[in-house]
Amino acid sequence: MSERHSQTRRRFLAAAGVASTTALAGCTGILGDGGSGSGGDGDQPTLADFRGSGELVSGRPAPGGTSIEDLPDLDGELSIYLGGGEGGRYTTLIDLLNQYYDGFEASAQTQPSSQLANVIVDEYESNTTQADVFWSVDAGSLAYVADNSATLDLSSDATSMVADDRFVTDQWAGVAGRSRAIPYNTNQFSASEIPASVDAIATEDRFTDTIGWAPTYGAFHGFVTAMRQLRGEDGTREWLNNMLDQNPARYDSEYATVSQGITNGEVGLGLTNHYYPMLVFANTPDAPLDLAFTENDASALVNTAGASVLDGAADPELADLFVRHLLSAEAQEFLATRGFAFPMIEGVEPVGPLPTIEELSPPDLDLQALSDVQPTIQLLEDVGILS
Amino acid sequence: MAARERLARLRDAVDGDDEPGLSLAVLAGAVAAFVSLPLVGLLVRASNYGLGHLVGLLTETGSLDVLVNSFVLVVWVTLGCVLVGVPLAVLTVQTDLPGRRAWTVVAALPLVVPSYIGAFTFVSAFGPQGDLADALAPLGVERIPAIYGLHGTALVLILFTYPYVFLTTRAALLSFDGTLVEAARTLNHSRWEAFERVTVPQILPGVTAGALLAALYALSDFGTPSIMRYEVFTQQIYVAQRSLGVPEGYPALLSLQLLAVVAVVLALESRIGSDANASYVSRGSRQPGQITLGAWKWPALAFCAGIAVLSLGVPLGVLAWWFEQAGAAVFEFEPAVAWNSLKVAVAAAVAASLLALPVAGYAARSTSLFSTLADRLTYVGYAVPGVVVGLALLYLSTEFAQSLYKTVPLLVFAYVVRFLPQAVGTVRSSVLQVDPKLTEAARTLGRSPFGAFRKVTLPLIAPGVAAGAALVFLTTMKELPATLMLSPIGFETLVSYIWLVRGAGSYGAAAIPALVLVGVSALSMVVILAQERYNG
Repeated sequence: MSERHSQTRRRFLAAAGVASTTALAGCTGILGDGGSGSGGDGDQPTLADFRGSGELVSGRPAPGGTSIEDLPDLDGELSIYLGGGEGGRYTTLIDLLNQYYDGFEASAQTQPSSQLANVIVDEYESNTTQADVFWSVDAGSLAYVADNSATLDLSSDATSMVADDRFVTDQWAGVAGRSRAIPYNTNQFSASEIPASVDAIATEDRFTDTIGWAPTYGAFHGFVTAMRQLRGEDGTREWLNNMLDQNPARYDSEYATVSQGITNGEVGLGLTNHYYPMLVFANTPDAPLDLAFTENDASALVNTAGASVLDGAADPELADLFVRHLLSAEAQEFLATRGFAFPMIEGVEPVGPLPTIEELSPPDLDLQALSDVQPTIQLLEDVGILS
Repeated sequence: MAARERLARLRDAVDGDDEPGLSLAVLAGAVAAFVSLPLVGLLVRASNYGLGHLVGLLTETGSLDVLVNSFVLVVWVTLGCVLVGVPLAVLTVQTDLPGRRAWTVVAALPLVVPSYIGAFTFVSAFGPQGDLADALAPLGVERIPAIYGLHGTALVLILFTYPYVFLTTRAALLSFDGTLVEAARTLNHSRWEAFERVTVPQILPGVTAGALLAALYALSDFGTPSIMRYEVFTQQIYVAQRSLGVPEGYPALLSLQLLAVVAVVLALESRIGSDANASYVSRGSRQPGQITLGAWKWPALAFCAGIAVLSLGVPLGVLAWWFEQAGAAVFEFEPAVAWNSLKVAVAAAVAASLLALPVAGYAARSTSLFSTLADRLTYVGYAVPGVVVGLALLYLSTEFAQSLYKTVPLLVFAYVVRFLPQAVGTVRSSVLQVDPKLTEAARTLGRSPFGAFRKVTLPLIAPGVAAGAALVFLTTMKELPATLMLSPIGFETLVSYIWLVRGAGSYGAAAIPALVLVGVSALSMVVILAQERYNG
């Protein structure tokens, strides 16, 4: 795995200014998306409209998988509950699909995913289901809704599009993966020096005074929650105390951990989601930065955004077809190049130096347990990491 | 007292002399019942859980922490508003502060910034990763004090609600009988002693009235504690209603607790209000001699300027900065969003005005208990925090009217419940100014009751009705909690759009909608001031 990184370093360097930051800030893809797309005939978005911009993307082969052109047309009105929504990026994709089909109009309401999961179950139980599709940034909320039988089974047409069985069930299909990662400064560490275990980072002396983290950050709480599930309260407390002995530097966000801490050499490595280093590359292509992944522990956690069809949907067939569109070549290319997600279908590669999602070794964990964040906060307060 | 007299009194209680027609009473009663529906729904829902269950919840959940947090916040905000509002009022009314007129306007202006927009701008400016933190970073400032939690919530609420205290104190000072101070001075009191023994008791009721308004606002405000992540009733009701693993009935329990606390504040307010009049408006026309500030002029000016910078400079500056920074992104939001805001606000304004007519007309013309009751019931919206109205309507619709759940009509109903008091208030004061003899004349000339109303009363009260409608329209435009809780999927308004892009961290896109809402608030102030002059 580490070898892979040294090879991909060059690919990374070629990634000058990945997707521009406007794409990250969620540029609402109003027609023509500011000139990077080549309009095509009529106003129908083309692959260029779905893709992010930047050198990295221009070197990409055409995505494989099922093109939108090969899917049945979306037609009618669709209501979507959008859990999380990645800073408006998902609504951009919905806009593109709305533009693609004249007879299709999807509208979405965005709220935090766990809240929305609860709203959906309440609505299902009081027989007032509002939406056709639940599209959420984390699998835990999808599982919660499915476990409360508020979803319908997806068609095999939809579920079979997802390449990796770990990220699909009968009730929901993963559409964009993300992983915890260890970004590091290449002037301070080589790929082979990054351990494959998060315990080593907390205990080995060579990592003292060189770790950056963002303990107030939601993604970090998810990671600690995963650790609580995997090794229990006491084991997690021990790891946190070991970490404190390493004297880590605190940052306000995981993006800052990478962009300020690691890129400027304030710290040598950090614990973040995998896409923050990619965001830094979007701005500074030659940053002394790379990323590694641990194996089979909480720091290798993989979560996925996904979608399901709700029981009570006005038009279940349309909803199912919409999920298939999220798994189309174009939509997957969109999620891979604009959000740096791990694509979920065969034929679309993750951006730059990222391994494919099959190459990762996440722990075996029920992602629904990640919603149990309150004890994590309590633990972080007890240990003295949060006040 | 003779039995006959007592009987007569009883009859008067039910229908006073000169009672308006029965139909008006029925209409007014119907409106009152209509807008009390949500509250009834909430109580029904709560009673379904049973007292035992709710008491159990009290002890096993963190609801007591929430109560303590809310209490602490209210105390902080109330004290803070007094400490800011009273000195400003004294300075602008009783001293020779340079530019008093201008400072008076500036001190009242923060009322036009919706508090949640204030909170956004403060988080944007002073939060971690905020603009200020970025600006200070090169100077070696590592950490600025945390804006989240109690401190930030209290700071923002004080800055945007102190004008209540400022205005009521100012009114008390202006109607203040200056001869009393002079009397005290002739009795050999020092200036300070005179202030302490004469001025303070005279303006205290005014200060208290304003402080209670500020307390009520701090209790009911949903946006600021939500943005500042401080766990008080409003914030917790919203979160509990949509969180996993929350015990059944918890949001309802929190709502009941909040309503109980609000009731206490309102009871205090009505007691102050009733015995305040004696001193609050003692019609002494003479102002006491001006206090000469001398060398204190500079700290006084610095105080006024400091408050102005924080409460006006920061929010407007940050909004302008967003606007500047966003470039083309400021125009990202779709016109449909503004259009939706307009549509529901117009609908709410029209509905509230129509419903206000019978209630206000009946209350203004009748002295019966029933009319007082009907009038008071429509004030439900004034007392019940928006987040509770939202929750109550969610309950009501899921249980009794599923076809209305999360529809635009239900949303408009929520606005009407919340803002009907504004319409009733303005309409009633204008009905009171119409001489009943005019309508009687029209009746003797053969008009039907309705005809007389249309030909005589309506043209006379039209300005009051219009003002009430305008107020409802403007407050609906910026309403936050019910909008978030009840909007249908895909129904985006200026408010929900601001909330959304703020969550995504793209402040630039929020610049124009936020500025629009500040403008809308400013307009509603203008309407209120114009009304006061009209009723003067």
